[in-house]
Amino acid sequence: MSQQIIFKNVEDMPYMSISLGSMEWNKTGTWRYLRPRLENKVSPCMEGCPVGQDIERAMVLLGKGKYLESWELFKEENPLVAVCGRVCFHPCESACNRGEFDEPVSINALERFLADTAAKQGWRVKKRIEEGGTKKRVAVVGSGPSGLTCAYHLARLGYEVTIYEALPVLGGMLRVGIPEYRLPKKVLEEEIDQILELGVKVEMNCRLGADLSWKDLQKYEAIYLAMGNHKSKKLDIPGEDLPGVMSGLDFLRDLSLGKKISMGKRVAIIGGGNTAIDAARSALRLGAKPIILYRRTQEEMPAWASEVQEAEEEGVEISYLVSPVRIGGENGKVNKLECVKNRLGPPDEDGRRRPMEIKGSNFSIEVDQVIRAIGEEAELQGLPKNLGVKEGLILTDERGGTKLKKVFAGGDITAQPRTVAHAIGAGKRAAIFMDCFLKNKKWEGLIDDLRLGEKGNLSMRRYRQEEKDREPISNKTVRLRDLNLDYFTFQKRSKMPKLKVQQRLGSFAEVNLGFTQETAVNEALRCFNCGVCNLCDNCYIFCPDVAIRKDVQTGQNIIDYDYCKGCGICVAECPRHALVMEEEGR
Amino acid sequence: MKKIMVGNHAVSWGVMLARAEVISAYPITPQTTIVEELSVLCADGRLNAKFIPVESEHSAMACCIGAAATGVRTFTATSSQGLALMHEMLHWASGARLPIVMANVSRALGSPFNIWGEQSDSLAQRDTGWLQIYCESNQEVLDTVIQAFKIAESVYLPVMLVLDAFILSHTAEPVDIPAQEVIDAFLPPYRPQWRLDPKDPRTFGCVATPEYFMEFRYKMHQAMLASKEVCRQVDEEFGRLLHRQYGLIEPYYCDDAEVILVTAGSVTSTARVAVEELRKEGHQVGLLKLRLFRPFPKEEIKEVVKNAEKLAVLDRNLSAGVGGVFAQEMRAALANWPSHPLIYSYIAGLGGRDVTLPAIKEVLHRTSELAQPPAESLWVGLRGKGVVHD
Repeated sequence: MSQQIIFKNVEDMPYMSISLGSMEWNKTGTWRYLRPRLENKVSPCMEGCPVGQDIERAMVLLGKGKYLESWELFKEENPLVAVCGRVCFHPCESACNRGEFDEPVSINALERFLADTAAKQGWRVKKRIEEGGTKKRVAVVGSGPSGLTCAYHLARLGYEVTIYEALPVLGGMLRVGIPEYRLPKKVLEEEIDQILELGVKVEMNCRLGADLSWKDLQKYEAIYLAMGNHKSKKLDIPGEDLPGVMSGLDFLRDLSLGKKISMGKRVAIIGGGNTAIDAARSALRLGAKPIILYRRTQEEMPAWASEVQEAEEEGVEISYLVSPVRIGGENGKVNKLECVKNRLGPPDEDGRRRPMEIKGSNFSIEVDQVIRAIGEEAELQGLPKNLGVKEGLILTDERGGTKLKKVFAGGDITAQPRTVAHAIGAGKRAAIFMDCFLKNKKWEGLIDDLRLGEKGNLSMRRYRQEEKDREPISNKTVRLRDLNLDYFTFQKRSKMPKLKVQQRLGSFAEVNLGFTQETAVNEALRCFNCGVCNLCDNCYIFCPDVAIRKDVQTGQNIIDYDYCKGCGICVAECPRHALVMEEEGR
Repeated sequence: MKKIMVGNHAVSWGVMLARAEVISAYPITPQTTIVEELSVLCADGRLNAKFIPVESEHSAMACCIGAAATGVRTFTATSSQGLALMHEMLHWASGARLPIVMANVSRALGSPFNIWGEQSDSLAQRDTGWLQIYCESNQEVLDTVIQAFKIAESVYLPVMLVLDAFILSHTAEPVDIPAQEVIDAFLPPYRPQWRLDPKDPRTFGCVATPEYFMEFRYKMHQAMLASKEVCRQVDEEFGRLLHRQYGLIEPYYCDDAEVILVTAGSVTSTARVAVEELRKEGHQVGLLKLRLFRPFPKEEIKEVVKNAEKLAVLDRNLSAGVGGVFAQEMRAALANWPSHPLIYSYIAGLGGRDVTLPAIKEVLHRTSELAQPPAESLWVGLRGKGVVHD
């Protein structure tokens, strides 16, 4: 420690004000009444991800070319990275702060890039045998995204998991509902293989209520129900039973199971959801001329805009404000579809404007096949009466627990948004609380501790207390107004390269081609890293008191409170709001 | 070598001969051609200096302060509003004891807008801790630039030399350009005791608490007082080498003068003629040219005026409500001397108005006639009020 220099006589002083020694003796930290503090927060993408992935940190790692670490981080929360990188509706991107600045980061495409890289490199998710693993036996009914995810996490938590699947293939809707050109079977199978490699057992062709009874399941100490919605809703119009009328789900399932399909020439697809679009684009690839009939307008369409756009590019015809009235047949075959025109009325319960029939506007179109895709529902069978079912959905609490103590449920058979991401999120949540149940751990209050931000999903890393690399953490979500935008420049988001339309037709080849390494890294570097220190060193550069120091071991920037005067410049100049200012404790 | 050059170029050539290393300036009429010429000299390699263009005079001085702290010879030039904009930095430069040299082309300050000569701009900066030297001719301008660096670097204080707008800045005169080797011998490279150096890191201009601030000011004041002797020695040394010498002040026909006219700047040349002509008419008049204004050469002035009855101070400036600044300074300098001459104050030539030969003669006549100085300054050449308005 330096000594203070004291001049007794004016002659002894230098002619100019200049330091003749160190000022280390002067611990200016005592002047401070406000204290800056490093506080990593939650980025809006993390909060917005129904799976609950640490997207922000994955972007940092990807930007540094650390693909394996980035992929592993995704895999800690989600066993289906390659799947989500293709078919997720990416609410993370809608939440991305960059969206308000210029355009959101292409998180979805980057997730896929990581999964594709992993596949190319043959990376395998790390096996983890929990210390004192209970080896208790757990059953998962249904091998869709929710069941697979629950099985994956339970296996990693040390349980013996058996999946029961009604179909002869694994993957549920991912396998039999999403066409090859959006999610290649090879990609799905590889991710499922990795789950099975953890020791998860599978019983296929084993339908609950037919091949498997509720009693059979009682040998397990916990049960997760995730059978999904595999039944198409009926149109309830005359002629629906004619040959040539089929459900969109049946059509897609038969197609994906390799069954022979008799495809018509002119196919009408009824509905405006993703199933309708998938069915139409599949029919197109089989040589038919599909037309989608939707009762409202494009604005109310539940199908994703990008899917609709791709369908139109490929030549799928879409007719809006049209409802089917009657299916006409001749010689026992469909030959026409009578429709009526609609106009939009006032909004209904879900906020979308209701279609109102225009009397006398009926017209017919000539078709030889009709595919209905107006929604799906669950086929609940083989369940005990006391499980608790309401309006075709299994009732669950905030944990995913049912009225029966050891039975949990999630995915499309419960009341939650019907997306792959929500199904995965539910599977993870159930795994966490099944673990609590099986280990007799207190679960009350856990949800708030594990939730990412105010409304995000739960973090498995947090549950395992493995978030040390993000410490110190606050659960506050960072918004655009919290950022110092002076440090960011406008940069357009990278576009996903796609197969040319001509190459798409007549083939089920994957439409989206994925990012190159260079595109991926550039895109990841667009990430603001909202709320998390990425060692940009602005605080270090700006601190007028040289009170930011580098920790030699961790490389982190540390505030030296012996000298920090609490001026707040570091906080103001932090581009990403990873520093906060608070009152000094007295 | 003699060259015909305007006063502004005399400044630039003086800077070149002094081998300034950093120049940072912002153009302003009537100073602009100083900077233009310097940029040419830098560009064609005759002057090996870093020329830093800036966006304001405040920045120009800040730039000079930073550069000078690293221990390099530093120059800037400005005028009027530009000098006023520098004001805050002027204090810093002197307080930090940085020997920056600046040429100020004296010009009136608006409003009303005016680009012509008047010394109110530099005189308004008299308390900033800068030495000030007022020049009479282009030759003196060039020589003073060179002397200024030597003085500044000897006492670690900045020096401002003042030349009148247009009358010097834009008027061509023959100027003798000293040989470089003579100037090199006169003015060695600048080697300060302290300088910003990454190899020897120090804080410069750090805070001085109440326990120490006064001591720094005392030292600055002592340095300023001591600089008078340095100015004299530097001028004498310059005279020995180049046979041109200007003194701190210059008395002209003062020995037996009853009335002594006091001037600063280019008006001195006109005054010389007035005094000569009045002498021929038998009037016992003299002329005292003030060259060094800060520090104010009290003793030297007292010695010159001790036998005179009256002093007529011609101020090409105005401190509104008081009158001329030079007159105030003269009164202050002589106040504690019981038998000092009566001091008459005249305001003349504001905003570039010509101060003519008849006007100067009238000033001297009026001084002789008036037994006692009026309470307030007299105005020379006020529209519709005769030559001298009282």
